[in-house]
Order: sequence, then structure tokens, then C-alpha cells
Amino acid sequence: MHLTYLANIGHYIPEMLLVVLMVGLIILEATYKESEKNRPYFYITTYIGLAATFIALLVNLKALPLTIFTNSMTIDPFSTLMKMIMVLGTFGAVYLSKINRDIYDSLKSEYVIISVGVLIGGMILASANNMLMLYIGIETLSILSYVLASLSKNNDRSSEAGLKYVLYGGISAGIMLFGMSHIFGIVGTIQFSEMITVLPTLEAWKIAVIMPSFLLFFVGIGYKIACVPFHMWSPDVYEGSPLPVTAFFSIVPKIAGIAVLVRVTMMFFGHTGPMQIGWIGLLSIISALTMTVGNVSAINQKSVKRMLAYSSISHAGVMMAGLVVLSEIGVRSIVFYGITYLFMTVAAFYILGIVQDKYNNDHFERFTGLIYRYPMMAIMMTIVMFSLTGIPPFSGFVAKFNILYALISKKHFALAIILGFNSIVSAYYYLKIVRLMILKKQESDETISHFGFLNQMIITAMTVPVIFLGIFWERVMMLAQGANIFIK
Amino acid sequence: MSIYYYLSAFLFCLGLLGTIYKKDLISILLCLELMLGGVALLFVLFSRATGFLDAQLQVFFIMIISACEVAIGLSMIISLYRKKNTVYTDELKIISE
Repeated sequence: MHLTYLANIGHYIPEMLLVVLMVGLIILEATYKESEKNRPYFYITTYIGLAATFIALLVNLKALPLTIFTNSMTIDPFSTLMKMIMVLGTFGAVYLSKINRDIYDSLKSEYVIISVGVLIGGMILASANNMLMLYIGIETLSILSYVLASLSKNNDRSSEAGLKYVLYGGISAGIMLFGMSHIFGIVGTIQFSEMITVLPTLEAWKIAVIMPSFLLFFVGIGYKIACVPFHMWSPDVYEGSPLPVTAFFSIVPKIAGIAVLVRVTMMFFGHTGPMQIGWIGLLSIISALTMTVGNVSAINQKSVKRMLAYSSISHAGVMMAGLVVLSEIGVRSIVFYGITYLFMTVAAFYILGIVQDKYNNDHFERFTGLIYRYPMMAIMMTIVMFSLTGIPPFSGFVAKFNILYALISKKHFALAIILGFNSIVSAYYYLKIVRLMILKKQESDETISHFGFLNQMIITAMTVPVIFLGIFWERVMMLAQGANIFIK
Repeated sequence: MSIYYYLSAFLFCLGLLGTIYKKDLISILLCLELMLGGVALLFVLFSRATGFLDAQLQVFFIMIISACEVAIGLSMIISLYRKKNTVYTDELKIISE
């Protein structure tokens, strides 16, 4: 028996733990009666499973980069860090779904099960090392997301959001496969490691075929990140789906998409030539457009959830800008940006979720005078909004600064200027909430029942990293130091 | 060999145009399948041409995954049809800008 392909299966423990967790949760869910709304063991199992996955990933972080399963998966510090971000995001989203009323009580366990499934897909995607695994990762991520988007089955908007997601997702996956098939036809392999050796040696006519193929290939990834020509689904889906789902969507699939885009770019376009120039040009234009369109559309939104959806589009654009420099500095700053983006987004969605629960809508006006009732929460929201804008001492500033530094060091001045202007534009709508919370007098002094002591503590605990990552960012950058892409 | 290339590219483009122009959801799903079928044929074709079997393996996954996608899509169409009594995209629009 040749079991050599199982030799390094020890490094695949995080994913296997999650699969076991998902199956276990399905069985556990079946043991509860429908009338039991409060399902303590279910949630405890989820938290323990996710924490165990996180610890297994921490162990993996120390391991040397290597490929497993006959080169089809890569385990390197970069993918492990991205997976850790995704696990933390899922953790936050699961607790949010427990306290939020936007999801029906009878569907809360389904939400947890499916989000663990999406997490598995994202983890496959983050360490995919050939075209087949990339496709399976994207589809695992997508197919479960479709269900998640239409989770409020009695709500028309949610059903429509899910259906839109299915149709857009199917078409973009088809276009991506069309590009993939042409890449295979030219290169003759689906393994990334073999493609790297073949790509620099192609003749001119083959490059002329393979460049449009990569463009089609980009459609599938760009759709997951929601970058500009393919972003139209995103606000509709974000608005239509329940709030915990929106929080989940703005973290896990986005980070997974960024991870695979970073891997593809660093692997295939590392050597100079017409392909590199074309791809970098494409990424620069798309990242500039993504930032601008996301910010400009966010300006005149009434709903905070929709505003956060558009702003998450523009954050994806900023992360893509870090990719343009094609260097380790860029990758490191993307990882750092991902970490800070995680904490900022989760904290913002928690506060929004609790406020929305009280009033049954999420307009900006609902935040009016929050500081007079819940000063702690208003301060936390202010910190998060400042950080999302990119105002110093907070971590959002450091994250944006790192990307700007990388851009300027490689003389991409135009993109750096666009990024700077976009930060200024985004200040308008982020600080609008701050103005309403602090400077306006409150209309009523109703209490918001979910702002109990425990939830306030949890939100504060999530805001603490936003402050401290901005001050002690060098430590985190040291962690990200080893996050080089492993190319073999 | 080239005739098959044109056939699969034709199927793909037909499916893509169908998803854009068709107005009822069932036809859109069918066109989606046509697109994926065209791509699967293309993978088989390139696999024959280059002599590597990896791509033929990918065809199986494309078939499995497209089946999953259609199952999810159809179930969503049915749940929407129960509420709205229509499968035409023009009459379904709820979320506005």
C-alpha cells in the first residue's frame, strides 16, 4: 500500500475537526425537540469545536510550509493566518445569531451548521493549490451561502436575495470554469506548482490566449470578493439576508476570496512579462474602482446595514490594492488589514444588531443620542467608526498606512492617492453615525434590553483589539512576517 | 477536433445569452446547466488534446456541483413561487435600490 499521500495529514486536522463538528452538530440538533428554543449544549459544542480548530491552526502556524495530498493543498503561514481570521469571524457570527432576533428561533441551529460548512469551504479555498481544489472550495463556499442568504424563509426579501445569489453565483462559476478550461488547454496541467514552471516559457500566441482566460478566471474570484464589475449582487444580498448572515458574509467569503486571489497572483504573476503587466493593470483598475464605487454608493444610504455592506466592498478594494505591489510587504499588510477588518466589522455588526432588534429597522436615526443611554456602547461604536475611517491611533489607520506604504514604496502613486481620497470620502458616512450618537439629543430614553452587562462586556472585548492593534501593531506584523506565500 | 471546440463554445455562449435574456427562472436555470455542460465538454476536449487526465476528473466534479446548484436553485424557486405565484423575474422584484 502506498499511503505516502497521507503522510502529512496531521496538518489537515483543523479542517477535519470542522467536518466532524458539522456532522456532530447535525446529529445533536436532531436530539432537540422543536419546542426547545434555548439549546445550551448545541452552542457549547460549537464554541468548543471552533476553539479547538483555532488551537489546531495555532499549532499549524509553527509548522514549516508544505503541500499535502499530492500537492493539492498548501499549508503555509499565510493560509493558516487567513483561516484563523475566518474561524474568529465565524465565532463572532455564531454568538451574534444566538442573541439576534433577525433569525427565527427554529432556524438558529441551521444557521450555525451551515456557517460551519461555509467555513470549511473557505478553508479549502485558502489553501487550494490546484484548479480542482480551487473550484471545489469556491463552490462549497457558494452553495452553502445560497442557503444562508435565504434563511428567513417567510421573508420575501430574503428569498429573493438567495435566488439572486444562486443565479449570479452559478453564472460567475460557469464563466470561471470557461477560463479555467482554456488555461488547462494551454498549460496542460491543473497543478499550480507545475503551472509556475510552464507559464514563463509560453510562446507569444499562447500568452495571447491565456491572458483573456485569466480574465475570465478572475470573474469567479472577483465575484466572491464583490469587487466592482461583479459587485451588483452584494448590496441586495446583504440587505435581504438576516443581519447575522450579513455579518458572516462580509467576513468569511470575502477573506477567503482575498486569500485565493493573493495566492494566484503571487504564484502566477511573479515573473516579469506581458502577463504580469496585464494582471497588475487589471488589479489596479479594479481595486481603484472598487474603493470608489463602494464609498460613493455608501454615502446616501439610509440603512446602516446597507451602508456597512457598501463599505465592506470598499474595504475589499483597499485589500486588493495591497496586492498590486506583488511583494511580501503587500501580503503582510493584507494579512494585517484582514485581522483589523475582522474585529472592526464584528463589533460594528454587534452594536447594529442589538439596536436593530429594538426598533425593527436599522436607519441611521436609530442611533440618535445613544451616548446618553449607553455611553459605553456609544464610545465603542465611535472607536470602531474612527477605525473604519482610518483615523490614527486606531488599528484601521495602521492597516491603511501599511498598504499605502507598500504602494508608495513600489511607486504606485495614482492608486495611493485614490486610496487617500477614498478614506476622506468614507469619513462622511462613518462619522455621520458618530455625530448622531454624540451631538444630537435623544428622542426617548427607552432601554434596549439586549444591552445587558454580558453583551456590553463582549462588545467591549471585541473593541479592545481595535485599539491595541493600532498601538502594538509591530507585534502583529512580526507574526505576519512569516506569512510569505509558499511556492513550490 | 476543432468542430468540438466550436460546439462547446457555442453551447457556452448560448447558455450565457440565455441566462441574460430569459425572463423565467426555470429557463435561466436550464441555461446555467447548458453553460456548465459546454464547459465540461471543453474540459474533455482539452484533456484528449493534451493527454492529461486531470481535466476529465474535473468534469465529474463539475457535474456533481452543478447538480447541487440546481437542487438549491429549484428549491428556492419553489419557495418563492409559493409566496408570489409566479416565476417571472419582472414580477418578482422586491428589493429596490
